[in-house]
Amino acid sequence: MLKMTHLSKVYRTEVVETYALRDFNIDVKEGEFVAVTGPSGSGKTTFLTIAGLLETFTGGEYHLDGVEVSNLNDNARSKIRNEKIGFIFQAFNLIPDLNVFDNVEVPLRYRGMKAAERKQRIMDALERVGLASRAKHYPAELSGGQQQRVAIARALAGSPRLLLADEPTGNLDTQMARGVMELLEEIHREGATIVMVTHDPELAARAQRNVHIIDGQVVDLAEDPRFHHAQHTAHTGTPA
Amino acid sequence: MLQIKPILAALKRHKAGTILIALQIALTLAIVCNALFIIQQRVQRLSRPSGMNESNVLAITNRWVAVNDKDTASLTKTDVQALRQLPGVEDAMNTNSFPLRGGGWSTGVNLVPKENGKPAGQTTLYFVDEHALAVYGAQLIAGRNFTADEVIVADPKDIKSTPQVIVTKALADKLFPKGDALGKQMYLSGKDVPPSTIIGIVKQLQVPWSGIWANDFVENATLLPVQLTGSYGIYLIRAKPGQLAAVTKSAPEALLKTNRMRVISGERAIRTYEKVREDAYKNDRGMAILMGVICVILLAITAAGIVGLTSFWVGQRRKQIGVRRALGATKHDILSYFLTENLMIGIAGVVIGAGLAVGLNLWMVTQFEMARLSAVYVFAGVIALLLLGQAAVLAPAMRAAKVPPVEATRSV
Amino acid sequence: MFAYYFQLGLRSLRKNPLLTALMVMAIGFGVAASMTTYSVFRATSNNPIPQKSSQLFVPQIDNWGPEDAQRNNGEPPQAITYTDAIGLMRDHRAKRQTALYPAGLSIVPADANQLPFHENTYAVYADAFAMFDIPFRYGGGWTAAEDDSRAAVAVIGKTLNDKLFHGENSVGREINLDGRSYRITGVMDHWDPQPLFFDAVNTGGFDDPTQLFVPFTRMIELKVPTNGNNNCNKDPGQGWDNWLHSECIWLGFWAELPSKAEADAYRSYLSGYAAEQQRAGRFRWAPNVRLRNVVEWLDFEKVVPAEAKISLLVALGFLIICLVNTIGLLLAKFMRRSSEIGVRRALGAARSEIYMQFLIEAAAVGLAGGLLGLLLTGVGVYGISLIFDPQVARLATLDVPLVLLTLLVAILATVIAAFYPTWRAAQVQPAWQLKSN
Repeated sequence: MLKMTHLSKVYRTEVVETYALRDFNIDVKEGEFVAVTGPSGSGKTTFLTIAGLLETFTGGEYHLDGVEVSNLNDNARSKIRNEKIGFIFQAFNLIPDLNVFDNVEVPLRYRGMKAAERKQRIMDALERVGLASRAKHYPAELSGGQQQRVAIARALAGSPRLLLADEPTGNLDTQMARGVMELLEEIHREGATIVMVTHDPELAARAQRNVHIIDGQVVDLAEDPRFHHAQHTAHTGTPA
Repeated sequence: MLQIKPILAALKRHKAGTILIALQIALTLAIVCNALFIIQQRVQRLSRPSGMNESNVLAITNRWVAVNDKDTASLTKTDVQALRQLPGVEDAMNTNSFPLRGGGWSTGVNLVPKENGKPAGQTTLYFVDEHALAVYGAQLIAGRNFTADEVIVADPKDIKSTPQVIVTKALADKLFPKGDALGKQMYLSGKDVPPSTIIGIVKQLQVPWSGIWANDFVENATLLPVQLTGSYGIYLIRAKPGQLAAVTKSAPEALLKTNRMRVISGERAIRTYEKVREDAYKNDRGMAILMGVICVILLAITAAGIVGLTSFWVGQRRKQIGVRRALGATKHDILSYFLTENLMIGIAGVVIGAGLAVGLNLWMVTQFEMARLSAVYVFAGVIALLLLGQAAVLAPAMRAAKVPPVEATRSV
Repeated sequence: MFAYYFQLGLRSLRKNPLLTALMVMAIGFGVAASMTTYSVFRATSNNPIPQKSSQLFVPQIDNWGPEDAQRNNGEPPQAITYTDAIGLMRDHRAKRQTALYPAGLSIVPADANQLPFHENTYAVYADAFAMFDIPFRYGGGWTAAEDDSRAAVAVIGKTLNDKLFHGENSVGREINLDGRSYRITGVMDHWDPQPLFFDAVNTGGFDDPTQLFVPFTRMIELKVPTNGNNNCNKDPGQGWDNWLHSECIWLGFWAELPSKAEADAYRSYLSGYAAEQQRAGRFRWAPNVRLRNVVEWLDFEKVVPAEAKISLLVALGFLIICLVNTIGLLLAKFMRRSSEIGVRRALGAARSEIYMQFLIEAAAVGLAGGLLGLLLTGVGVYGISLIFDPQVARLATLDVPLVLLTLLVAILATVIAAFYPTWRAAQVQPAWQLKSN
């Protein structure tokens, strides 16, 4: 489903080159639930932005659903984002000017769907996250947990094959976080591929597979001595 | 002023907004300067005195119908007598034109007989009788008025000059700069034109035209003691104080009662002098009003633009402002930061704008016979726009100053 | 998608009513100022006879010499003498031609209870009616033979016919002009070319419609003087005949020359005519002639008032400032939403879709500005009579084309102003995080 080989991402300024990702390899199979962990600045967010086609990369290959994406133009990338990928952001990223219904509708609009189908999908998605009754509310009128569930509904409404989540529970209290996590697991059971970036080992443990990133590279968890140290940083450092 | 360097650095990061505000200030300055200048010029024109006592004056344009030109003299005489006897009328006369009428005669005037070539001066000719000075309410400052027996009857195509003339001081001074015009002779341009002796000088009397082209001889008038024949003439009437409205109604009626075979019709046939002045300077006053309205709206829009963009900047920099406050900046520091920022953009704008203003004016000078823009207007415009900028930025800057230091700690 | 974007635009505009109001007002005022002044400019720079404007010509002949011409950039006088008018008429080198002047005649109604009155009257030759495409309701113009016989005939206007004959067919009936009787040969339909091209010299291009035409030859015989300008560079001497044969200029002249070849031929004929006058000793200078068609003539006569040009110019500058202002405000408005744009991009909006969304939002602002502008243009057109001569002001009207133009200019100008802010908006990268600062 998602396969990166020898991928690198370099940020260049006039004087220095900084490798955010270096010889990065990962292979996520269809239907997997993968948790990506790593300390602040390790490159996990960069990985996610590249995986989500929000950014381009410098070298290597990235196959998404069998398609090499490095040569696609902006329009094609937009189309893939819209049709195959669902995003769940740490900060929810709901558009404050739009109500719940209209927020969930945004990706469907760009897909050029008929109004009836859009409405059906939005209501289904809101039903799934238990917020059908709040369709007319604005984001500011909802709790953090509810906002994140709206964001998940927005990601689900387009029936994406791949769900990318960046610290989906980072801004939530424990109880709300648990609810969101259960929702993700349910979505996974229904067949979606999920890649979730988190610094929370408890959350990571609930995924099928854990991938650990340090200094822009995937490391084997069992063998790398830095792992324990990294865990420690992740607890105290600021979230990426 | 200590903050100039950081402000410059910040402005570099907001190039588009900075350029837009500066550009708007520049363009506004260019237009406002020129508009103010146009207003001043027009107002100056329309406040020129006509030399007449303008209240209580009425002008009636008359055209005889089916009358032989030669016979009009006696008809006109009857009319004038009827008008003078009318209750409410102080005095009246028949003439070819009067100040600000819009149409009349003009000719060259010289110290020696001259047929061709550039004359010593240009003058308008008013063919009047001995009642003229009383009707005008003009002030005779030297010499004497015409006498009744000096007034002759003549065909407009035949009349060349008269032995006696009364001229305005402006014309007298033009011909005789030493101020000794009274009693001297002058020659109207033309072939074999007999000389005219200046028997009187009036203080002031404007020509019939209000246009720019007549600016050179705007107060050069010559009065000739002639009652013109011909089907076309004007009755200029001075009403007694408070009687103008009544006379405006009774005078045309009296004329029609004396003789029906005439035309007194059309919008401009019967006009009080107030209306005459209004018609003459309609365009000037209109332009002044239009330019004034445009200036006001323009300044308002520019101010609104500055408020809008500065508000956006303040909103964008809330966190930054919070950090500054947390690091010890006082409210006053924040306020003066934004005021200084605006002043710097403003200065850039007015420098460009002053150039544009002068350029626009020079171009208009070539296109529309306009005068050169005086530096005072540019300077006034510069000050006005800088002050406007400071005033406009005050509200958003005060909002910025109110940002609490705790803003620094907010992440989302 | 259009409806969606439009709806989003309206929503966003409602969100910031003050900023929106500022933009709408800026555009409204800018467009209204331009359109109001444009309405005057349009009226004054109108082509009064588009179907024939390239076929009708005014000849000018320099009969005053280089010294006078020098004061007018070398141009010959704007009018011609009786001598030259008769010369050109006699030579008859154009398909049609007429000399003309405004005649100072009064109309004496048959009803003794009505007072005599004046209408704009022109003395012309028979060709004038066909030349100027004058429409007739009843009858037609007089004949060339009637020109020659100096017949007492007249063509009257529709308004005059309504006044004197209650709109009935008055062809063949008599009209009393200055105590003499004239037979009516035709009644014009409404005819009011703007500007009044055939006598721009005396009217400045704007006057009430002409209601009476009489034969030029008849008027000369009756010694009816011109109601317009008469300019002499030297004393014509005493009496009508001396004046008629003097170098005083007071007549207009028009020639119809349907093709370029004919115009060229006429131009060389004019030079030949002037050369002949030089040989005869009347002109002591080389031929200096002009031949201008309607459009060139109106331009030469500066029919468009300087006020109309200056105010149009100032108004355009005003519109530009309003647009610069709008660019700034739109930039502020759009960039404030960069996080929204980032999210939309992340959710799959292509750059073109961001362009569309924001341009349509701008167009909505433009439309609102246009509607306000329309209202203000209405006020402005009404207020024009305060500024311009009523003869000009009555021509400036808020008609359908002006309404459409106002809306179009408002929307187009706003969309153009929105290009840069929209471009900036579309440059926003798909965002993972809502940027906090």
